Amino acid sequence: MILVVLEHDGTRLRKGALEAITRARQLSALGDVSGVVIGENLASVAEEARRYVGTVYVAEVGAYTAEKWAAAAYAAAQRAGAKVVIATGGRQSRSWTPRLAYRLGAGLLEDTLETSTDGSRVIASRYSFLNRVTEKQAAGLPVVITAKPNTTPLAEPQGEGSVERLSVELPAAKVEVLERVTEQKKGVSLTEATIVVTGGRGLGSPEAFAGVEQLADLLGGAVGATRAVVDAGWRPYGEQVGQTGKTVQPNAYIALAVSGAVQHQAGMNKSKYIVAVNKDAEAPIFKIADYGIVGDVHQVLPALIEATKKLKD
Amino acid sequence: MKFVAVIRQVPDSESRLKIDAGRVDLSSATLILDQMDEYAVEEVIRLQEKHGGESVIVALGPERFEEAVRTALAMGADRAIHLVQEGYLDPITQAEALAEALRAEAPDVVLTGGQQADWDSQALGPAIAEALGWPVVTWTTALELEDGQARAKHDLDEGAEVVRVSLPAVFTTQQGLNEPRYPTLPGIMKAKKKEIRKIPISAASKVEVLEQSIQERSRLGKVLDGTKDPHAAASELIRLLHEEAKVI
Repeated sequence: MILVVLEHDGTRLRKGALEAITRARQLSALGDVSGVVIGENLASVAEEARRYVGTVYVAEVGAYTAEKWAAAAYAAAQRAGAKVVIATGGRQSRSWTPRLAYRLGAGLLEDTLETSTDGSRVIASRYSFLNRVTEKQAAGLPVVITAKPNTTPLAEPQGEGSVERLSVELPAAKVEVLERVTEQKKGVSLTEATIVVTGGRGLGSPEAFAGVEQLADLLGGAVGATRAVVDAGWRPYGEQVGQTGKTVQPNAYIALAVSGAVQHQAGMNKSKYIVAVNKDAEAPIFKIADYGIVGDVHQVLPALIEATKKLKD
Repeated sequence: MKFVAVIRQVPDSESRLKIDAGRVDLSSATLILDQMDEYAVEEVIRLQEKHGGESVIVALGPERFEEAVRTALAMGADRAIHLVQEGYLDPITQAEALAEALRAEAPDVVLTGGQQADWDSQALGPAIAEALGWPVVTWTTALELEDGQARAKHDLDEGAEVVRVSLPAVFTTQQGLNEPRYPTLPGIMKAKKKEIRKIPISAASKVEVLEQSIQERSRLGKVLDGTKDPHAAASELIRLLHEEAKVI
């Protein structure tokens, strides 16, 4: 049996959940696919989920903590007799899946790009060495897998599954949340965006990001930022791309006034097309760029906005 | 109180990587204390400075890790334990071995890097916490101890959280937690005399690395001059993205 931990936003399954279901179906030689939804007020997501998997386990455990999620996924895996558990990659799931793997005595295949099976093992490809190396890993069963977002086609609904409430033995709460600041994002999320427009320190001021936002909006993309920009307090941490921020792989990554340090490249070097605008022709970003303009971002960015508007008309 | 930093040695991010027979060849790379683990070392030293007690370095890895362990000792940690095993060992199995050593040490706080710069793994801290039955706070940007508890700020996928955690607990680091100090010359001299207890281990990895390769995308490198006529360059770039790359 294969268990998919289905990420949701409280009302709908997330895109990553539908990718994870596809991953599970690709491993069908290892068993049938069931799913678990974890959280609170899960009736509507459970209803959606049963169109994709044979059995949906529903674990009403309240608001997120890593301990609760690991406990719920463990209970579902035990109930389903699952030897393979798949979750969407993301900072949150990557902090509870290791707990689950440890409890199951399972190998952990982290942030995988592709997964297949030879009938007894799961073979996965993933990036390592700050996104510079592509490696193939293999793990026997049981195994826990996280699937990197935006790597897999979305699953289509298939049949009518059953819904089963799961009782979860919750661990004593050792973590108490005192304060949570959620960055409200309008538009597409950074890791799911097909176009990312990132601004660097060279923009000179937080106000200059109005242009970055405008270009991202016109292109239907998301705004990214470099570490220097986030450290300066110009943009929220959730927008940071790089080693200590998010890893993105859009169709087009547009870097405005970004020099392109290795740590930044670790978060974007697998983008399909890289576009750079920088006044320094020697900036490292141009070495990995498909397209670029050497010039002053304060002149080039408004011109890009104008040209994009013309194209859209 | 006792504070432990779990550290690793990784290639410097500026080092050029080579592949030899389907494996990353580190023989010509500069190897350093993982920068994310450096935050952990700095934090245990600061916690010790503030609360007293002991700061201990724990490492699991090949012999070569000793150099990174010495760096951590030169920064100011008291002593070290080095579990020695050559070759790849997955983080879940590592956590099992590390937990055994940590249980014997019985620290109040364990810190380790939020992501490893070689395996790009984020699993070690959470897996150690599970092995010990402790809570974990990932991507920690601020840490204070008060009345046998910790108050920590940490990053989420979108946003941040302030949490109160019972001790003992594991914390993984994030940039901004602190500014790691450089080892001083006296620090380096002193570190030479500090104890590194080596314990050979032989655990079986649950995950096998089959093959590694460097697949650099060949990039087009079409760079336009926008210094004289930014409008013409911008129009041409948008045209290329629309007609040639077909991404907008």
